[in-house]
Amino acid sequence: MLRIEIDPEKCMGSGNCSFWAPATFDLGEDGIAYVLDPEGDDEDKILLAGQGCPTQAIAIWRDDQRIV
Amino acid sequence: MTSTLPLANWDPMAQFGADAHSVRDPHPELARRRREQPIAPRAAWGEGGKAVSGYELYRYDDCAAVLRDNETFSSESIRANMEMVMGPYPLVGMDEPDHKRLRSLVAQAFRQKTLAHFEDDLVVPVVDEMIDGFVDRGEAELVREMTYRYPVQVIAVILGLPRDDYERFHAWASAIISVGAQPMEGVKASAELRGYLEGVLADRRAHPREDLVSELASTELDGERLGDEELYSFVRLLLPAGAETTYRATGNLLFGLLSEPPQFDAVRADRSHLTAAVEEAIRWEPPLLITSRVAAKDAEVAGTPIPAGTQIIPNIGSANRDETRWDDAETFNLFREAKPVISFGVGPHMCLGMHLARMEMRAAVNRLLDRCPNLRFDPAAVTRDDPHIHGETFRSPTTLPVRFDVVA
Repeated sequence: MLRIEIDPEKCMGSGNCSFWAPATFDLGEDGIAYVLDPEGDDEDKILLAGQGCPTQAIAIWRDDQRIV
Repeated sequence: MTSTLPLANWDPMAQFGADAHSVRDPHPELARRRREQPIAPRAAWGEGGKAVSGYELYRYDDCAAVLRDNETFSSESIRANMEMVMGPYPLVGMDEPDHKRLRSLVAQAFRQKTLAHFEDDLVVPVVDEMIDGFVDRGEAELVREMTYRYPVQVIAVILGLPRDDYERFHAWASAIISVGAQPMEGVKASAELRGYLEGVLADRRAHPREDLVSELASTELDGERLGDEELYSFVRLLLPAGAETTYRATGNLLFGLLSEPPQFDAVRADRSHLTAAVEEAIRWEPPLLITSRVAAKDAEVAGTPIPAGTQIIPNIGSANRDETRWDDAETFNLFREAKPVISFGVGPHMCLGMHLARMEMRAAVNRLLDRCPNLRFDPAAVTRDDPHIHGETFRSPTTLPVRFDVVA
């Protein structure tokens, strides 16, 4: 299982993550992304969301290894 | 008044003449530079059109690194070029902290969720009206009859402008978008549009409706509101940022699909492939190939020392075909492995309108497939007119002659 962290200071609310993995990420009322369900989408979509973050606000770990 | 020519008489190829005689296909040379010369000197212009030294970048990692590092690489170079027609607050040309404040205020209106109802209520009716114009003929030229026209009208609808003003709005939009080719016309149209928007804003303040101007006028974040001048700048920015790019990108998507019938058939059979088709089209042929930044301090890019004040021009069209990142990068293949592209830029300025653009492109192709069965290139017109994607700064098809079955 993946562990996902979003840095709210870096996030600029592009919505890129929720485009790629809409069941995993969402934007709050404040326009900042948060994790809805760390297993909401296929892993490749979650990784795509993480890699595609325009401000590199998303960090993803598998076990203890950081993969994004 | 700027021109009041009926919309149908505007010739997109003549209008966007700045690129019409330039390189037909820059991609072979861009591929050579990615291999042999990943950073190259390039003429650039700063404040007041003054020549400054600049470099162009071609590899994905170099382009992405510059676009992400907004502390070292400022967007001031864009503001300097845009202020003349966009007014004092063009979001795309602002740096922090002003950029983040303004972007946060306007961002709510462009979120995917806000846009969900736009598709059926606003975008599809505009697309359908374009298709109504040719659906009984069994043939069409999709650039002039559809792709060139619908994105400006979508913006007019989203803003909530009265229908009678669309023609005028498109004339202003066209002049503002072509400011590079005809500066005086662009500046004049920009001033006229600003004056027109004053009236619209005053009306929406008094009588708010469900439209973008009302929303921008009332939006509030941490007790802050959008100033009037900020709103006028933002709306004018929507024209080059939201209309021209979407027009060109939709053309490139259709060109890719029409040129690859097996892929087009796959989309026809399963519309869920359309999402991948849009991503692949903007990777393969992004509508705008370059953007610019200026070094705010001494830096190093692609192993080259960059003194403060130097402009850096990331070539996004080249970055998206970086062969170290994509196999067979020069071809349109919607079935390739999905990877992030930088067609919408990357970093804090990543395109605010990307969700709207994707939705508009999907809606346009979906409605064409719904209403024009067996849509294909017209072989006789292809032989006669040599349709191809053209340009080196902006790229889109010269023409899209198609045939289809008429539904009785």
